[in-house]
Amino acid sequence: MSAPQIAVSGLHRGDNPQPGAGIVRSIRRRYPDAFIVALVYDAMESGIYMDDGPDKVYTMPYPTCGAVSYLMRLDHVLDEAPMDIFIPTLDSEIELLVHLEHDLNARGLMTYLPDADMLNSRSKCMLSEFAGKCGVATPSTEPVYDARGALAAAWRLGFPLMVKGQYYDAHLVSGEDDLTAAVTKLLTQWGAPALLQSCVHGPEFNAMGLGDGEGGVVGLCCIRKTIISDKGKGLGGITVRDPKLEFFVGKIICHLKWRGPFEVEAMKDDATGEYTLIEINPRFPAWVDFPSMFGMNLPATLVEMLVTGVRPKPMPSCTAGHFYLRHQIEVHGHVDDIAELSAGSDFASRPASLRPRPATSPLFQSAIA
Amino acid sequence: MSDLLPDLLLNDRGFAFDPAGGETFQLSTTGLRVVRLLQQGCNDESIMQHLLDEYEVDEHTVRRDLENFLGELEQLGWKS
Repeated sequence: MSAPQIAVSGLHRGDNPQPGAGIVRSIRRRYPDAFIVALVYDAMESGIYMDDGPDKVYTMPYPTCGAVSYLMRLDHVLDEAPMDIFIPTLDSEIELLVHLEHDLNARGLMTYLPDADMLNSRSKCMLSEFAGKCGVATPSTEPVYDARGALAAAWRLGFPLMVKGQYYDAHLVSGEDDLTAAVTKLLTQWGAPALLQSCVHGPEFNAMGLGDGEGGVVGLCCIRKTIISDKGKGLGGITVRDPKLEFFVGKIICHLKWRGPFEVEAMKDDATGEYTLIEINPRFPAWVDFPSMFGMNLPATLVEMLVTGVRPKPMPSCTAGHFYLRHQIEVHGHVDDIAELSAGSDFASRPASLRPRPATSPLFQSAIA
Repeated sequence: MSDLLPDLLLNDRGFAFDPAGGETFQLSTTGLRVVRLLQQGCNDESIMQHLLDEYEVDEHTVRRDLENFLGELEQLGWKS
């Protein structure tokens, strides 16, 4: 197979990491010569600057700008850097792209995404309805559109509550003041509705996999979160093998007939001992590269599947006992990179920081002198 | 025997990992001996007899401590 040409989005790591940088690393583990193009929304997406990062970087208009702008920019990128496969990683982006599969295919760009109905069925707003149909437990959840509605919903649900943005972010609130502040922030940041969800007490489990579109799962890796940040992010996790959890996840994916990468977030309710569905994310998670380090490389499997057109045999689930710890390091960039990548610029080359340059930047020489 | 017990990963220093729940534990030497005996299918009385034979301790103390420990194992789901 010739070196695949792959576009990936969501390169930011740091406090609230996106999956793209992990996907790039996973692909490079299997395909060291892969030509990887990063489609970014911000020059400060830190994965742009990592040592084994993308070969080329292009800024894209935000998905909220609509399909026309998005496709126009994509056409420009494809003229400069032909690609075969696109692995999007941001929920807001996937919401647009599920409607554009035909347009992407017409441009020779393959994706492996759910359809709009699948995507909508698992949305945070529809989670209670979905869980009811699927026969799995989920905390009581109510969409809210303003602070007053949130207070009324909180009165019904009771404190403490999780307040979630429709795409990202979650805050634990224990009173009306916290609630109003959190709802206002999330509505401003992610739009309406925000979601109020009753709290479940117990350990958190995540399952990452690749749905085959017919109800099956190509590969599944389940972890228990062992270190959780104050924003609920998993700073550490360990692989588990629990038939009950695998059955729980299998039931959800089978019901959705999910096509593409997914992450199921669940909690094991201390009160009942049963798994409770918290969220279904339509993409690989930020910890996607972790199982690639010990044999379950789902991004590479996805690439292989798209390039060969052959669905791989189901992979054995990850064995228990592998753990990860999120390890933050600094990456190096130069102000030239920001200039080149800044919004509105039209660039098509690897950032300057990744190219040879004099030991001292000419831009700073005069200032130092 | 509990469903979890056969799968429990143990080393000789008493480090235990529950592969279904993802939790790790540190067992004392005696605790490790009890869990290994449970894995071998021993019942409570048989375990007590093993402990009386292997340690210099009176029956009352063994019975009391073993009951406490087995109760904790039941809470963890390691013993049914």
